[in-house]
Amino acid sequence: MGLGFLVPAFLAGLAALAIPLLMHLRDRNEETPTRFPSLMFLVRLPIRTSDRRKVTDWPLLLLRALAIAVLVLAFSRPFFGRTAAASAEGRARNVVLLLDRSMSMGYEGNWAAAQDSARAVLASLGADDQVALVLFDEEAELARPWTRDKATVRAIVDVTTPVSRGTRFGAALRVGRSALVSAPVGAAEFVLVTDLQRSGLAGVAGLELPAGLPMRVAQVAAATRPNTSLRAVEARRVVAGTRVRLQVIARLVTRELAAPRSARLTLRIAGREVAARTATLQPNGELAVVFDAIPAPASAVDGQVTIDADRLPADDRFYFTLPADDGLTVLLVVPDDLARDETLYLERALAIGRAPAVRVERRRTGTLDAASLERAALVLLWDVAPPTGAAGTTLTRWISEGGGMVIAAGPRLGARRGAALDAVAGVNGIADRRAGGGAMLGDVREEHPLFTPFRASAAALVAPRFYRYPRLEPAVGADVLARFDDGAPALIERKSGDGRVILLAMALDAREGDFPLQPAFLPLMRRLVLYGAGHESTPLWRTTGESWAPREARREPVVAAPDGAIIRPEGAGRGATLILGQVGVYSAYEQRVDGAPRTRVAVNAPAAESELVSADARELLLGVGESADSTLRGVEAATTSEIESRQRAWRWLVLLAAFLLAAETLIASHGWRGRARRATVVQPEGSKG
Amino acid sequence: MSSHETFLDPVLLARISDLPLLARTVVDGFMHGLHRSAKKGLSLDFAEHRRYQPGDDLRRIDWKAYARTDRLYVKEYEADTNAGVLFALDVSGSMDYASGAVNKFAYARMLVAALAWLTQRQGDRVGLATFSDRLVEMIPPSTRHLQLLFHALGRAKPTGEGKLPLAIDHVADVATRPGIVVLVTDCYDEPAALSRSVGALRARGHDVLLFHVLDAAEEDFPFDAAAVFEDGESGLRLPLRPEELKERYQTMWRAHRAALETRFTAAGVDYIPVRTDEPLDRALHAYLDRRLARSRVR
Repeated sequence: MGLGFLVPAFLAGLAALAIPLLMHLRDRNEETPTRFPSLMFLVRLPIRTSDRRKVTDWPLLLLRALAIAVLVLAFSRPFFGRTAAASAEGRARNVVLLLDRSMSMGYEGNWAAAQDSARAVLASLGADDQVALVLFDEEAELARPWTRDKATVRAIVDVTTPVSRGTRFGAALRVGRSALVSAPVGAAEFVLVTDLQRSGLAGVAGLELPAGLPMRVAQVAAATRPNTSLRAVEARRVVAGTRVRLQVIARLVTRELAAPRSARLTLRIAGREVAARTATLQPNGELAVVFDAIPAPASAVDGQVTIDADRLPADDRFYFTLPADDGLTVLLVVPDDLARDETLYLERALAIGRAPAVRVERRRTGTLDAASLERAALVLLWDVAPPTGAAGTTLTRWISEGGGMVIAAGPRLGARRGAALDAVAGVNGIADRRAGGGAMLGDVREEHPLFTPFRASAAALVAPRFYRYPRLEPAVGADVLARFDDGAPALIERKSGDGRVILLAMALDAREGDFPLQPAFLPLMRRLVLYGAGHESTPLWRTTGESWAPREARREPVVAAPDGAIIRPEGAGRGATLILGQVGVYSAYEQRVDGAPRTRVAVNAPAAESELVSADARELLLGVGESADSTLRGVEAATTSEIESRQRAWRWLVLLAAFLLAAETLIASHGWRGRARRATVVQPEGSKG
Repeated sequence: MSSHETFLDPVLLARISDLPLLARTVVDGFMHGLHRSAKKGLSLDFAEHRRYQPGDDLRRIDWKAYARTDRLYVKEYEADTNAGVLFALDVSGSMDYASGAVNKFAYARMLVAALAWLTQRQGDRVGLATFSDRLVEMIPPSTRHLQLLFHALGRAKPTGEGKLPLAIDHVADVATRPGIVVLVTDCYDEPAALSRSVGALRARGHDVLLFHVLDAAEEDFPFDAAAVFEDGESGLRLPLRPEELKERYQTMWRAHRAALETRFTAAGVDYIPVRTDEPLDRALHAYLDRRLARSRVR
């Protein structure tokens, strides 16, 4: 028999006993002194200043200290008799063994220590004791349900290795908790074998475990773990003269190195080493290593950066992919009465850019078909209305599947008052601003991705003048991205399925304005095509645990995982997604793994997993609450009622604390103490003159 | 409380924020009560008749009296001296105190406003000096400075330390033309130093009235709980047990009052203690008595 505490951490609250003591030592009126016109007489009188630091009201001080102490004891949940763990003696034990296999457990020595700890736990179990094994990283799985066969569990522990994924203790504890539902009768216990990585604590708060469930934590990591990790890679195509080159920058982080050291970084493209650099690593810091630019392949780039392996090799390799630079095809649909050189400025502007290059194919209205759309990234309607009928249906479906369409509305469309342009806007005549020197853009949504090139020079967008432009009335659901200075929409966007339609009222030729002659024309046209075609920056890599939808494989995607496994993502068509569970490069194919993949994605472990900082075991338990779930048989049958009866004292302590506080209120506000509080000078309102 | 006393109740007056209105209310109420009192009024121009003597102004001969009595009489009037009255108001931090409903400074300001109004009604010139440890603001006496005086009173805030003797010396320096100086202060300084400074004022030909503004708590010291006391001027804080000091404080306070009264009287200064819980009429009476004594010039 003895006194114990369920939450001994709360005993730290006894430090609060200093508060009433300090309050009594401090003159309580020091904060709000009694103001008096002049102390010229009082300063002449002898004053015993030493009295200030004496406790003058011992009974009240003791009462207050007692109330605080009782309250702290109540929150610490004292119990008498045997401890919960001890109460299990003589009864079969049900141990949930939670084994951390996250990337950080691959640090030199950690995994061997973890396996040894797990084996020791198994060895300590009796013949009737049962064990359930939970392996966890970002996710957790019940690797072995309840069994008395420790050898099987040991075999699983022996063959398990760390994986390149993050840590989430919340997932492990939840799976362990669910295992308790099917636990046999006995005293349940959690044993957590881990390096207690701090980044894994997220998500633990709010978790509830059965009241009184013992949890032992076997912390296997060393206090200091020097590590170098590759955290990020920047890779992009740059145009150098007439050639396109690939520029790669690797960012790495060092922690707790004993001394500066040099390390060799290697860049591999498609498995072949193409560049290398030697860098000097500081004990703690971040470093960006710039590789020499190399000729960029036009196809998708599948690369990796590696650094000399250290004690945690898993974060010394970083994968990335760069989409193919196979150019964009823009179908420029022109009217039959197109004037000579009317589209000259637009076509010249689009022809200038590289990476990706933009190819323009001219089409007459009515010649759009599924085959031409299949290889196009964008359809640009030059002052013509969208097609109707079968061609219109085909175009609409193509857009909803991710295609892009830009309608450049000019005088021809402007003349069709009342016409609706593909549910984006209606036409309401033509605005003629020639008399006033032309209109300019007055309200531009600069935060929109379309205007990214102008964020540093927004003034460039207000320089162009527009003499004549169609007045558009945006449809419901359409988004006006820019307006002329008279408030008329100049640029409207409407999302349609996975694609988008952009409607321009700004004249793109020099007859109706000077926009093509202005510096803003070229970047805006190029951005318009890239954005409209959905050619937005694809992430160079993703992290494990993310979901990925290989949209380029439109009908029936099949994915080859880094370990060679073939995965058919859940869902149909473009909505099919899969969880990225492995580090490496995933390749998506159409229907079968054959030929060149439609798209690829590189996957790396979360950067936080390389921060080798351990938490305290108590920190882990701080956010865990207690559940009274009676379905958790392993605990309930064993000790819940016993523990409850033994730690019932907290209720009495709370009552006692309430009584003491009430007594304190009465004593402090009555008698001479109450009078002393009230005898203060009143400063009437407005007394300051 | 009679109706005119209602108009002089400082608690009610303290609620009037418009100083000219307040001053008029006080003076009207005061004058209303004055008519029913035995005291002689101030606004009487005509004083008495006297036999004509050669050299008298023929325009002052009362021809009606001559018709009735067949003798020449000359009408005598209360002389209008156009005296300059300078109100010197203490705006040190110690004036910002109230144990009851009326703040010392608010009371002093009401008093000055009322006296200034009364003075202006007599045709005298009014001026204002506010001071703490220095001269804060100075408005020289003039018949046109009443509104200016009210504005200055409205702006004045009691703050900072007070050095009364030094401030009175400054007032003496700027009040060069002999007149009446009305000091309104709480006299927190050594009586000897105060009387020296006020004596200097007297020496320059000024008539001096000193209104000693008091709060009841300053006299009674009604505190009994241990507390930290803060000096209203310097901010000095002293932890005190008032119940042990009360008697000694009251003794020192009474001695201070007595010393002030003795020294001021000796210096020819009218010393008028006024408490913030008293109506204003006692102060007004005292002022009028003094003013009449000066103005009766035949």
